[in-house]
Amino acid sequence: MSFIEVTLFLANGFVFSLIIFAVTLICGIPLGLPIAFCSMSRFRPVRAVSKVVVWIVRGIPLMLQIFIIYYVPGLLFGNPVFSNIDRYIIGNFDIPQDGLTRLLMINAGSLVSVLIAFTINYACYFSEIYRGGIESISKGQYEAGYVLGLTKSQIFKKIVLKQVIKRIVPPMSNEIITLIKDTALANCIMIPEIIKQAKELAATRAMIWPLFYTGVFYLLFVGLLTILLGKVEKKLSYFN
Amino acid sequence: MSVLEVKGIKKSFGRVEVLKGLDFSLEKGEVLSIIGSSGSGKTTLLRCLNFLETADSGTIAVNGKVIFDAASVKRLKESEIRENRLHFGLVFQSFNLFPQYSALENITLAPTLLNRGTPEEIKAQATALIERVGLSDKTDSYPCQLSGGQQQRVAIARALAMNPDILCFDEPTSALDPELTGEVLKVIRDLKNAHSTMIVVTHEMEFARNVSDKVIFMSDGVIEEMGTPQEVFLSPKSPKTKSFLSKDIEAV
Repeated sequence: MSFIEVTLFLANGFVFSLIIFAVTLICGIPLGLPIAFCSMSRFRPVRAVSKVVVWIVRGIPLMLQIFIIYYVPGLLFGNPVFSNIDRYIIGNFDIPQDGLTRLLMINAGSLVSVLIAFTINYACYFSEIYRGGIESISKGQYEAGYVLGLTKSQIFKKIVLKQVIKRIVPPMSNEIITLIKDTALANCIMIPEIIKQAKELAATRAMIWPLFYTGVFYLLFVGLLTILLGKVEKKLSYFN
Repeated sequence: MSVLEVKGIKKSFGRVEVLKGLDFSLEKGEVLSIIGSSGSGKTTLLRCLNFLETADSGTIAVNGKVIFDAASVKRLKESEIRENRLHFGLVFQSFNLFPQYSALENITLAPTLLNRGTPEEIKAQATALIERVGLSDKTDSYPCQLSGGQQQRVAIARALAMNPDILCFDEPTSALDPELTGEVLKVIRDLKNAHSTMIVVTHEMEFARNVSDKVIFMSDGVIEEMGTPQEVFLSPKSPKTKSFLSKDIEAV
């Protein structure tokens, strides 16, 4: 297998990494907000439930959470829904012999379970970052809004939100960079993400070097992210 | 008819009674200074007027209309409280400008969100206000680019933009060094000349003496002494006032 062929083979895997990355951010960033509000709720039971959920999600390994989401429907309700989706697609659709489309089709169900686990996990981490950001805004900002006759929601949207965003960009950048590397955990339920692909080459063709070569993919992507997030930070640096 | 009529305001935080029943009134165009040592309840009083705290008992009437009655406050809707608090403006000790907005945007934000005119009208009014506080050249500056005194002047313009009947100042110069204090006090003096009704909580005795029409000395949550600056500063009746004022002189 040539270098180009190996690169393409690994790139197919990295597409899975990127899908998990993108979906987790697109779903997890908004989902973190209601969780943060629940954690700050004046209503005690809501606060308690939210804190327990965050404690559990942050308290057990993400790999274990992937197993839980993937296996528990089968164990509890006798319906292993995610592997059933995989089986259904394999049984009812024309699957190409190889390539990315094939990988995506035969793993669609399992991929959904991974996406759910990642989204819940990251939303909980995000919620704590949001909470910290919101609570760091001084009471004076709210009061200045109140005495000008603004409503609570106007104060949040027009005054507090941008200040919160500015403060959470650095910790969010950290989480976002961690996320792309965490996607490797998906290989625990055989999702062909990039490291799983490299292991495949090691097992079937006795090639070890592609495993280390995967690092280049991560590095390039993290480099890109660093530049982008730096730009966001810079854009918000006109005030403090 | 008085523009402001405050009766029997009481406020406790837990078991600590901070305001023990305050009565006073204010005529249109008058400047009232409230002096007194820290912890005497001055700031709490202003916060009650601005609905940032809810008084436990008492009433507040503006232009003869009761806008706050502790006995019925629970029945007020949030929108009514918002409407009522607009009779008052408040300038904070720590300015509390919105950091992500320019000086002009700080002033136009509330009128824009509350639909107080067309964008052009609001901008014209804000430009006039910023000129009035002497900051025409700082229109597009962000708060972090302004000195404390300039920030406080923007904050005053911001409060004026909502046309309050009574403008309240909570120790407006306490966070400023002496050099910057003057420019803020000058703006307040100019407002007095333009017949704004104001309540100023202050530690600037000179200012209270020269600018106010009425002075209240507060101590331990009660109005210990009230009168014209001449009465309070030159011939205080209460021993507490005497002692407070003499300490001020000693400090200098």
